Parts: sequence; C-alpha cells; structure tokens
Amino acid sequence: MEEIKMSVNKTNEIKSYLSFRLSEEIFAANVYKVLNILEMRTITKIPQAPDYMKGVINLRGNVLPVVDLRIKFGLPITEITVDTCIIVLNINLDGGSIMVGALVDAVKEVLELNDEDIEPAPSIGTKYNANFIQGMYRVNENFVMILNIDHVFNTDELINVNETADKLNTEEIKE
Amino acid sequence: MEQFKKKYVEEAVDLIADLEKSLLELERDFENKNVIEKIFRVMHSLKGGSAMFGFDLIDNFTHHLESIYDNVRTDKIKIDDELLNITLDAVDHLKSLLNEENTINPNFIHTHEQKLEIVKQISNKVLTKNTVQNVQQKIINSNYRTYHIYFKPDVNIFKNGTNPLFIIDDISLLGFSKAFPNYSGLPEFSEIDVEGCYIAWDVFLSTSEPFDLIKDIFIFVDSECEIKIEELASFNLMNDDNFCSFLTQMYNDGYKIDIGLIKSNIKIIENDFINKEISVLDNNRNENVFINREATISSIRVASEKLDDLIDWVSELVTIQARLSLYAEHNADSEIGSIAEEVEKISRRLRDNVFSIRLIPIENMVTRFQRLVRELSHELKKEIVFETEGTETELDKNIIESLNDPIMHIIRNCIDHGIEDSETRISKGKKVVGKIKLKAFYSGTSVYIQISDDGKGIDISKVKKMALEKQLITDDSILSEKEILDFVFLPGFSTAQEVTKVSGRGVGMDVVKRKITDLRGEVDITSEINKGTVVTVKLPLTLSIIDGLLVKIEHSHFVIPLASVDKCFEFKHEVFAKNKTNIIYAGSEHISYTYLRDMFDMQDITPEIESLVVIEFNDTKVGMVVDSIVGQYQAVLKPLGAMYKKQDIVSGATILGDGTVALVVDPIKIINKVIDN
Amino acid sequence: MGKTILIVDDSESIREVVSFTLEGAGHSVLKGVDGQDALKLLDGKDIDLIITDLHMPIMDGISLIREVRQKEQYKFVPILFLTTESQTEKKMEAKEAGATGWIVKPFVPEKLLAAINKVVR
Repeated sequence: MEEIKMSVNKTNEIKSYLSFRLSEEIFAANVYKVLNILEMRTITKIPQAPDYMKGVINLRGNVLPVVDLRIKFGLPITEITVDTCIIVLNINLDGGSIMVGALVDAVKEVLELNDEDIEPAPSIGTKYNANFIQGMYRVNENFVMILNIDHVFNTDELINVNETADKLNTEEIKE
Repeated sequence: MEQFKKKYVEEAVDLIADLEKSLLELERDFENKNVIEKIFRVMHSLKGGSAMFGFDLIDNFTHHLESIYDNVRTDKIKIDDELLNITLDAVDHLKSLLNEENTINPNFIHTHEQKLEIVKQISNKVLTKNTVQNVQQKIINSNYRTYHIYFKPDVNIFKNGTNPLFIIDDISLLGFSKAFPNYSGLPEFSEIDVEGCYIAWDVFLSTSEPFDLIKDIFIFVDSECEIKIEELASFNLMNDDNFCSFLTQMYNDGYKIDIGLIKSNIKIIENDFINKEISVLDNNRNENVFINREATISSIRVASEKLDDLIDWVSELVTIQARLSLYAEHNADSEIGSIAEEVEKISRRLRDNVFSIRLIPIENMVTRFQRLVRELSHELKKEIVFETEGTETELDKNIIESLNDPIMHIIRNCIDHGIEDSETRISKGKKVVGKIKLKAFYSGTSVYIQISDDGKGIDISKVKKMALEKQLITDDSILSEKEILDFVFLPGFSTAQEVTKVSGRGVGMDVVKRKITDLRGEVDITSEINKGTVVTVKLPLTLSIIDGLLVKIEHSHFVIPLASVDKCFEFKHEVFAKNKTNIIYAGSEHISYTYLRDMFDMQDITPEIESLVVIEFNDTKVGMVVDSIVGQYQAVLKPLGAMYKKQDIVSGATILGDGTVALVVDPIKIINKVIDN
Repeated sequence: MGKTILIVDDSESIREVVSFTLEGAGHSVLKGVDGQDALKLLDGKDIDLIITDLHMPIMDGISLIREVRQKEQYKFVPILFLTTESQTEKKMEAKEAGATGWIVKPFVPEKLLAAINKVVR
C-alpha cells in the first residue's frame, strides 16, 4: 500500500500540477488539491448512486467516496491495470471541504507551470465545460486539460469532455 | 474560591432544572408528597450553597421560597395554580440571578425586588405563629443586645468527651464577649477528681444574633450543665470601654462577678447609650477570607475538539482491535486469542465511556417544552396534556442545543394550530383534553424525535390551494398527499386562518426545516384531518459506534444495527426460490421478506443455505435474506459523506478488521421499502 | 496529625469546599452524596469524624446519624452536621439521633477547621 505524499507548492509564479491519464486524454489538477495517491483497492459499492460513483474505500480508518472520472467525463472505460490508481483530492463542496478519491488510469508527472504557460480554455462548450476547465497546457502535439477540480465535483451531471477535446483539436487544425 | 463558585453555578443550574421538573410534576398531582419533599429539599440545597458562595440575592430569595414550601409540606398551606405559577416564575428568576452580571444592573435589581416582594408576601402570609415570632425577633435583634450567661458544666463533662471551653468559644463566635472563670465550686484539694470539671463561667456577650442561637449552643450539654442566660441591655455593652474595664476590675478584685452591681452600673451607662448609633462591625461575622490555592477539581471542562480527537482515537482503536480479533481467530495461538478478547472488552468499555461524555439525554430539554405547553395552553385557554416517551434517548450535546428552537416551534404549532379548543373538541366527539406527545427513540444510526398531536390535522386541500395560488403547482399537477404536505416546509406557507401572536402566519416550518437540515437531519410531516399531525425529526448520531450484526452476501459484508434485529433463521435456498409471495412462515409468524442482494444490485448466485434476519421496528417485522451471518460486530460508524446524501438504505459505513468497508443498513428504510412493495 | 474525615452532602460544591479545606489542613477526606452512600463508604473503615448535611435525597442526615450510631464501631465517632441557623428543631432531632455538634452554613474555611479541631484531637 505505497502512498506518495505530494508536497504543496506555495510560490505565486510557478504552480505545480499533477497530470494523470483518463483513457487517452491527459488532465491535470493543482497539486495543492491533491492529498494522496493510492494504489487501486477494493471499492465497496453503494446502492442507489449514479454509475460514476464507484463506491467507498477505507482511507486510514475513514470512508472515502471514489468517483470514476472516466464515467463522469463520458470517456471509454479501460481495464484496471497496475497503473490504475486513486488520487485523493480535497474538494470544496457546498461551502465545506471534503475528501474525494478520483479513479484514474495512470498518474503521469508533476508539471511546474507559470501562469503564462497556461492557455485559456476554448470559449464554447456546454455550461459545465465552461468552468470545469481552468486552462490548457500544450505538450508537444497534445494538450493537457487543467481541471478546476472543485467545479468537477460540484455537479451531479456528467461532463462531456469529448466535446471540449474535439473543439481543441479542430482549433489546432485551423492553426 | 472562584472554582467552587463555578461549580456551584453548574450545580445550581441542575438544581433549578430539577426544581422546574418537579414543579411540573406537582402540577399533575398537587398532593404528591414525594414531589413536595423533593421541591423543598432542592430549594434547601440551592439556598445552602448560595450563601456559601456569595450569592446573597439567591440566598434571600430561596429562603422565602423554602419557607413557603416548608409550609406546603407540613400542610399549612395548599398548592394551587396561582402558587405554582408564582413558583415557576420564581424559578425563572433564579436562573437569571445566577448570572452575576445581572445583579449589577439596576433595572434587574428593581425586578428582583418586585419578585422578592411577591414571594415574601406569600411566605409571610403562611407564617405560623412560631415563625412570626422568630421573624419579629430577628428584626428586633438586628440591633445588638447584651447577655449575661452563667455556665456551670457538670463535674463529669470531660468524661462525656465535651470540652466546656469549646462552648465558650462558640459563644464568643456570636459577637463580642468576655468570659470569666468562676472557681467557687472548687472542692478541697483532697476531694478533687483529676478528671472532673469544677469551674463555672460568667460570660458577657453582645450579639445581634437571636436569643435562640445562644440557647442552641447548649443543646448538646444542657442535661449536664447549669445554664442561666439573662439579658442585661438592649444594646452593645461590650464595646463600651468603661463597662469592660469595670468588669475586669471587679473580677480582679475578688475573682467574683456580682450581677447586682453590674446591673446598677449598666443603668448609668444605659443613659449614655440612648439614641446612640451603633455601627460596630462584628468581625467574626464579616470575615470573608478564603484560602486561594490550586485546587483539585472533580469535574473539568474540556474543549470539544479535544473530545472529538479522543473519539477519533477510540474509533481507530476499535478498528484496530477488530483487526487483532480477526488475526487471533486465524491463529491457533490461544494466548493471542485471550489477549484479543481482553482488548475487545477494554476497548468496548472505553468506547462506551468516551461516547457517553458528549451525550446527554433528551430529557434535558423536555422541561422547557412542558413549560411551553403549560403556559401557552393556559393563555389560549386550551386544555392540553404533554406526554413524553423515550426521553432517556441520548444525543450529542451540540445537537440538543441546536434542536431546542425548532422543536419548540413544532410544539408551538401543535398548541396553536393543531389542538382545537374544548367546545370544538366536544362537538367533534374527541376527548376534551388535547394531547401532545414527544417520543424519542433510536433507530440504526439515527435518533428520531416525533412530536404528535391529536388536533385537527392539516387540510391537504388548503395546502394545495395555496400552492396553486403561489404558482408552485398547476391545476393538472398530480401530487401525492405527502408531496403536498411537504409544501408546508416552504417559506411563507401557513394554512392557519388567523394570525396569532403565538406562531404567526407561516413563520416556522421552513425555519424548522432549515435548522434541522443544518444538523444533517431530516424532518417529515404526516397529518390526518381531525386525527392530528405527526412531525418526525430524524437526526444523525454524528459519529458513533453501534453494536451490529455482521452479515455477508458474496464477498461483501453488511452491518445491521443489533437493536433492530429480532430473530435469525436459516432456510434452504429452494424454500425462498419456490416462494412466490415473498412471505415466509418463520418462528411462529408470517414475515414479509426481501433479498438484500436485490437492493444492493448484487449478482444472483445464492448459496444452498441462506439466512433470514428478521428486523423489527414499531411492531412491524420484516425479513432480509443474506448469504450468512458472521456474528456480532462492534461497528465504528463512518458517514458516507455529502456525495452519497441521495441514497437512503445505507446510513453509514464501517471499516472491518481486514481493512475493507462494510455498509451499515438503515433498518427503518428497509422495512418501509418492503412494506411499500 | 491528619485525620480521616467523611463528608456527606448532596451538593457537590459544598462537598468540594469542605474537602478542599480539610485536605488543605492535612486531613484525608471521603465524600458521600447521601446517607446511603455514606454508609457504603464507611464499611468498617477507621473514620475520625463524620460531617453530614441534614437534607439529602435517598437517606437524610438524621437517619444517617442514627444508622451510624447503631454500629458498634462508630458509636463514639464524632458526628457534626451542617445546618442553617434557624433550625432549632432539627438540631434537637440531630442531637437525639446522636450527633456531636453542628456547623452553621454558610461557613468560611477557618470556621470549619475550628469546629473540627474541637471534636477531633
């Protein structure tokens, strides 16, 4: 049960982001939101909950809800591999702060980015897409979507990231 | 002294609450001797402490209350509604007297004096002859008087373990005194018994204390002594230097006290004394020196975060203990087995102790509601009894505190809008006296508080009409009765025809709902026209450990709160499989059952032998089919958190010894679901 | 010399003040909340002095004094009771039950110690 503790970077100019993979897409979340990265473990399913709510796990004696971000984002589900892990995030929900586990296909790396490295998110999208993406970061030919984690977990709705991804790609082609 | 003072205040708050409760009990039966005794005793305790800790206003005030109830218990006066009202009002006043900030507020003091006058009048009205005398004597004696006390102890007084000098000491404590030994009784040397007492004393005492108090000093020796007490003057002779030197001189001259001579001397002094103001302070009585030193205290206040921490640690201990037990079970070592058993015992005890720290019974707030029903029903001229059940049910202190207002409001609604007036009730063929009942009980991880009345109920059609007016629904909306009733929880919803000063129009249920939601609780309302209304408040036991029954379906574990488990049975799978009705004959009755695996959307691979757990709530029994029963389990309840607030058959989770999570089912919800189907 | 003293009072604050004062004077103190509790605490122990309130729930002070005097071991143990000034009848009753003396409430620590010094030597 190896756990990697992430250090919190508080400098103003450079912010650290943890990038991770969902299906084929790369996302990132501000490191200060990340408390822990856990190996995959047995998830206890809770009845009467939406599909993306995978269930709960035991996090050091506490019950941690786990969300499958792939389902939440409408991405195809892949097999559980050795790389599959649960990122423990600290989320502001309804004025309070709670911990949530996010099931991801793999954790990639910690990116240290200046604010100017981050490009604004594409202007169109559904009402959810509009604010769940904080910005984009370009790595070679690909984009990393930097998530506004609080917004992602503050909605019960599914978020269609494909739409945003497609939009990005079309813009890319235009350029 | 401060810390004792604080303690007294805490104690006094409890005593006052006790008093209030007893008075309300007394209201139901004016003749209840036990309750009257208790009231008297509580007043007495309250008074005793107040004087000790400098609450003079309370001392004086309770003194009068105490004498009123002393007369009640000795049948000198009878309890009636008026007296009870005054006493209850006095009890409220006592509460504010405990706050010392109040006592420096001139307005408050003014109110205090008015209230004091009221109780004074009653206590004076019922004074017996004897006490009238006492009081008069007290008034007269507020000035100093001077006495001559002749005290000749019996020769054998030492043999009885009494030291006559202590009596002299006691006398001196009453005021200013001088004592002169009198050796006239001394026998010949040859006849002296070395253990005998042959000395008598002449004591001159100036005191403001009543005469009886001097007499009291000799209560324990009066059978073995010669005692004469005579008043010499109605003023303080002992602070007159002339008189004192005269006494000393006379004594030194012949070791004798000549009372005749003294009296004539007093006549002379007396003339000087007339109209002279005496304002010498009695040192003994005004001594207010208290030792101030670090004290050992038997109860302490602790910051609630520390308690929360403690609870967290205990929870972790219990979880770890489960792991140890599990390990011991799979290990043949009998030593580790017995250690695990011990640890389980200790952690169970520790858990109970720690949890009880924060819990207080609902009873603590019930008195207030009783008062409300009593006063409001008087005011509205309705006859209402208030009944309670399960008030020993405990809840977290914080929850109880925040619960007070909403429940107060619900009850206020019952009195004001629920219960009809007597004529209406008679015309409806109902009992004249309306009833409001507060019932509290545990279920699973929740505490339920149910407030029901047998009043007129809520008219669904009126609610619907209002919802239409407010355009919350349209004409063609199809709503269940429950959905319509739920509108009363919206702001500005009240079906009361008239605005009353009691509950007003529409203020209330929305606030009630909000406050209860803030506590992570739920509120539910059911009503039947002319039968009454039931408001049910469900509250979480924020964090708690319960005794549960651990059951298993496939690889998943579930915990059923043991409190709701009635019986368990085993059946072959085919018994269930062949059953088309979902009703099974188990034990000696027919029981509806459900497959728990269906509720949890689990696969349909069943073992050959399955277990039926029968749970019971409110006399309704329902069976749940599970694969197997693992055994009793001490479950540390963990909330599922805000993300799972929408599901309702699981009330929490717990961590098992092997680190996996088991869900704790809510038996009431399961029963309701089975019944609905 | 420290004595063993039993204080019986249903009011915790009074118990605390008394025991605080007595312990400060080097005595050891047992605390009982009512007569019955006190009898349980006695339980054959060597006690030098009993101080008891008169009004208490379950078993009052007078009954306690009577019960204590019934026991051979405590026939001569001094018993002081706490009282308010105006209760002459109560004092008589307590005396008949076998009390040694009383302490008037309210009292300051000095007064309490003085009273105790009178009965325990």
